Amino acid sequence: MNWIGFGTLIKREVGRFFSVYRQTVLPGLISSGLYIVIFGFTLEQRISEIQGVPYTLFILPGLIMMNTLTNATANTSSSMLQMKLLQQLPDLLTAPLSGLEISLAYIIGGTVRGVVNGILVLILGVFLTDLPVVNLLGTIVFIFLVSWAFASMGLILGQIAESWDQLAMMQNFFLTPLSFLGGIFYSIKMLPEWAQSLSFINPIYYMINGIRYTILGVSDSSFIVSFWMALFLTAIFTTSAILLMQSGEKIKQ
Amino acid sequence: MSAPAIQITGLTKSFGDVHALRGVDMTIKQGEFFGLLGPNGAGKTTTINIVTGLVFRDEGSTEVFGKDTVKDFRFTRSKIGIAAQEFSVDWFFPIEKLLYFQAGYYGLTQEQAKPKIDDLFERLGLDKKRESRLRQLSGGMKRRFQIAKALVHDPDIIILDEPTAGVDVELRRELWQYLRDLHSQGKTILLTTHYIEEAELLCENVAIIHEGKILKEGSPKDLTRELGKAGITVQLGDVVNGMESYLNEFTFTRDENRLHFSVKDPDSAMPEIIRQLSKADVHIQSIESKVSSLEDVFLSLTGKGINE
Repeated sequence: MNWIGFGTLIKREVGRFFSVYRQTVLPGLISSGLYIVIFGFTLEQRISEIQGVPYTLFILPGLIMMNTLTNATANTSSSMLQMKLLQQLPDLLTAPLSGLEISLAYIIGGTVRGVVNGILVLILGVFLTDLPVVNLLGTIVFIFLVSWAFASMGLILGQIAESWDQLAMMQNFFLTPLSFLGGIFYSIKMLPEWAQSLSFINPIYYMINGIRYTILGVSDSSFIVSFWMALFLTAIFTTSAILLMQSGEKIKQ
Repeated sequence: MSAPAIQITGLTKSFGDVHALRGVDMTIKQGEFFGLLGPNGAGKTTTINIVTGLVFRDEGSTEVFGKDTVKDFRFTRSKIGIAAQEFSVDWFFPIEKLLYFQAGYYGLTQEQAKPKIDDLFERLGLDKKRESRLRQLSGGMKRRFQIAKALVHDPDIIILDEPTAGVDVELRRELWQYLRDLHSQGKTILLTTHYIEEAELLCENVAIIHEGKILKEGSPKDLTRELGKAGITVQLGDVVNGMESYLNEFTFTRDENRLHFSVKDPDSAMPEIIRQLSKADVHIQSIESKVSSLEDVFLSLTGKGINE
């Protein structure tokens, strides 16, 4: 194992997004703040409570999760695609680094961004709404797992994509709709039965409900199921990302 | 006997229907300054990309100091520094930071890399640009940075893919001198170029690659001797009957008072020509020789110039 090389790449990936924090950290905080103010405070007058929780508090775990997974995905996918398009990748591929080391370093970089963004929105929620956190350790573990899983997925997307347009398509047509349909702003019990059934095949539904349980103690799905789903996604995406990197698909000829 | 720095045997590579390499064999000895010469699309970059791990080989073997570049990639890659032809772009970090990252990928800590980075910045005239981003550098400065990146981990083998493409004459000469210095320190250098002059000036041995095959390998001098078209032209003061009989051992043509000799090596042939003409009692008005170049060799091997 090339530990110094591995550590250097992690440092680069983390340093990269911190160096442009106005693009990578602040927007999530601002948009989450706006969701809380606009959706939460205005809709709370019409939807007073869901599952015994005030509406503003109800949406907060979903916002944390959306912020976590979009940032984790964006970090790895954009960094990998950028390195491909700007001719930086040969520096890594000709260095004595294995596919395992490169993929894990990218995933860790994306995980750090996901965790930082998730925790900042959590702090914002506590600050703005007195959000109670029932199980802080569980919340942090969940944020970490989801960050890791979606950083891995982002790496796969970044390696497969050949243009910014393709990457944007994958994020806008799949990730964002799945996040919104996963129950950020509503309980699926408010949906007709057929729509509830559809939600069960949306993996992000389990992520949102898992973190909602650790923060508020309520959720549409069983916490155990959500937790196992998070672990399952982490294992599947991590393995796929490592295998794809080792195969050299789309990055080596 | 020590293993060659780079040994390539039977290397083939196709991109779809395009056969980029059709069985390349090449040996570069330790400490050698070696040139891989060929026109665009001949297979130079594909060959070095396979050695450095950027391209998968189809068949054949590629070894660095006796180790396979795929199985023992950590060893082989740590021995090589590569200055790619294409410039990379980075929006995020100053170039000094990028060099520290590059050193880190090769297992060097910041403390270990610092003296080397300071030395490279000074040697390559980049000292005042440490805090600049890549996009702020001129083409020449970017080329210097590419070379600094290749050297930051102090590799035994330095591969330079068209290092002087698009740089001005002054920088080209500066880079040549720097490469000579590196070679004198015992580094093995593999240079790909389509500047014939560069290969003739710097390389001890060259291989001429064309359409994915090595056509000829040897020192520039040997190749020009063997395959070049050198000549000597003698302007005679008068024509003496029977003088041709003194020149039987040479191939020549006569054009009134002018004799054109085709020779492999003008330096060794000229004294003998003068001696024989003097014996024939011929008055020589002037004599000039045309030395063959690698360009001639290239032309005779491929039927076209290197830049065509």
